[in-house]
Amino acid sequence: MKLSSKKSKKEDHEYIAVNSNNNKFKIRNPFSEEVKVNSKKVDIKIFENENGFTYLVFKKKKYLAEIVEKNQNRYTVLLNGVSYSFSIETPISYKRKKYLDKQKSNSKTEILSAPMPGKIIDVLVEENSLVKEGEPILILEAMKMQNEIGSPVSGKIKKVLIKKNDAVLKDDLLIEIEK
Amino acid sequence: MKIKSLLIANRGEIAIRIVKSAKKLGIKTYGIKTAKEPNALYLSHVDHIIDFTESAEEIPEFLDVERIIEATKSNQIDAIHPGYGFLAESPYFAKRCEEEKINFIGPSASVIYKMGNKTIAKQIANKHNVPLLKGSLGSVKDAKEAIEIANSIGYPVILKAAAGGGGRGMRIVEKESHMEKMFKMATSEAEKAFNDPTVFIEKYVRNPRHIEFQIISDKHGNFIHLGERECSVQRKHQKLLEESPSVALNDSLRKEMGEAALSIAKAVDYYSAGTVEFLLDADKNFFFMEMNTRIQVEHPVTEMVTGLDLIELQIRIAQNEPLPLQQSDVKLKGWAIECRINAEDVQAGFSPNLGMIDKIMYPKSKNIRIDSGVKESSVITPYYDSMIAKLIVFGDNREKAIQNSINALNKFWIKGIKTTIPFCKAVLTHKKFKKGDFNTSFIEKEMVNLHFEGEEDEMLAAYLATFDFAAELETERTTYVDFEQGKKMSPWVLNKRLKSL
Repeated sequence: MKLSSKKSKKEDHEYIAVNSNNNKFKIRNPFSEEVKVNSKKVDIKIFENENGFTYLVFKKKKYLAEIVEKNQNRYTVLLNGVSYSFSIETPISYKRKKYLDKQKSNSKTEILSAPMPGKIIDVLVEENSLVKEGEPILILEAMKMQNEIGSPVSGKIKKVLIKKNDAVLKDDLLIEIEK
Repeated sequence: MKIKSLLIANRGEIAIRIVKSAKKLGIKTYGIKTAKEPNALYLSHVDHIIDFTESAEEIPEFLDVERIIEATKSNQIDAIHPGYGFLAESPYFAKRCEEEKINFIGPSASVIYKMGNKTIAKQIANKHNVPLLKGSLGSVKDAKEAIEIANSIGYPVILKAAAGGGGRGMRIVEKESHMEKMFKMATSEAEKAFNDPTVFIEKYVRNPRHIEFQIISDKHGNFIHLGERECSVQRKHQKLLEESPSVALNDSLRKEMGEAALSIAKAVDYYSAGTVEFLLDADKNFFFMEMNTRIQVEHPVTEMVTGLDLIELQIRIAQNEPLPLQQSDVKLKGWAIECRINAEDVQAGFSPNLGMIDKIMYPKSKNIRIDSGVKESSVITPYYDSMIAKLIVFGDNREKAIQNSINALNKFWIKGIKTTIPFCKAVLTHKKFKKGDFNTSFIEKEMVNLHFEGEEDEMLAAYLATFDFAAELETERTTYVDFEQGKKMSPWVLNKRLKSL
């Protein structure tokens, strides 16, 4: 079943998909037969097969695709098993986002969160210790493997939010580091 | 001696794999149902289910030796196949089977003990002139002794759990100042994983290839090897992609290493299927690492190039039959590659990706074999290993096997969880892998991208997200902005408008 065959609108709509590295895809008129990505005309079709898979067809190739997360304008898409995250902006909201991002990058604190669910085997730093980027700061056991977790930045340990033997879930906050 | 009934003391794809061979031999199969996955796929393949769900036991079901023995006896089952994993390598379990006159599909308890203890295994290899790495022939008692040995053989060295396997309890030590910390980590991990903190030390070969030989022997003194498997694509000592044969071997090296593997098997009067693992350095010197006394995850690549059914042979050997072939009958034909499909998020450091499989669609072709332990609606839990399926692909030569594997991975569709499929594609499309120029440091040193990404993939993903977002905006417009007609007004909007009147 083809899903993208909505009637083309007469109005001209532009959206900007911004990825986590701030790369932009300017997408014009996504419903129409005249889709343009970064000013280039592309022919992409969306299908759903009888087994319930959604896939795109582009240049005669099939791409398994799925929206796995969606929160207002923030999307995570799995394409051929690989995750891509975007915020989808209109030209107006894009200006606002640029302003907000600028504010955020001035922040001084880096938060280390659990890369996977597991158990804290050891915490190798204390509050106020100085760490270098990559220096191991804790040991997390997951699936019976002990993993050294390194500091994402150089700086001073501001807060240790976990202790030895704690069980943690993915994305749990572990340690705050002051840059 | 003929086995009529078989308990499969394992789960997942290997349980289903064992059922297939047992059915072929007309053997009735029993499976164990656990509370952790009462709807698992393997349960629909066995003839009878033994229910372990109402268990208040602390010990995980597949580690509970006495309970499994008890269930086998009360159901009058002839034999147990342990698959791979803990029970397959437990000399205690094999011994309990021997005591209770249950036919354990595998080698004898004493052989499992000898080979399971890496220091004894090394001594046996040493005695039979199989090349070994320098190091402690026995265990090392503390960091001080480890430093002494390391100084005499030179850094880097590797600490390994004597009872180990699968990469656990292993630590590479680059210099003396690291030894104390690494020794502590290796022993604590060994203690946790194997209930035995003993470690030994050996010279660490930088960037070796991992080559293993499949051997098989019967209870009548017949020993053959079935060629090698290359398992150099590893991350943190975990194998991710295997092939048979290996580009690193020629016929004479294959013969030499095969004979070394057999001399170890003969030294301990081995019977059943087993694997002798070697490291191969850049100058093609090989060193004995360990022997695994069980069927291995990657056995299908050997089956594909030899045309044999290893589990069937294991069962036949267990019921005292002689091997149906000799060394000269073994011909390696073509090339086979196995991709492990693990429920892991490659983009998040291979962390386990738990959840439910919404949809699954397998590629189909005469060159493709899929050993899967899951189906639609299977739940991936944190209780078990993350491997959910294996894709094994054949080609007339390596180049074709690689291309066929890529094509198969492109058609292997899973919805609901992330898997290692994009990783396998990244390996198979890598220039150096294609050339056969790789070793165990391949992932760490050569792979810039751990997942495969086509040039236009991100643009396509951006398009799909934008399409969905724009469609939602459109819906909002038509539902809420219809204010002039006074229809389909959301109560929330209406309320707000009324207030501002």
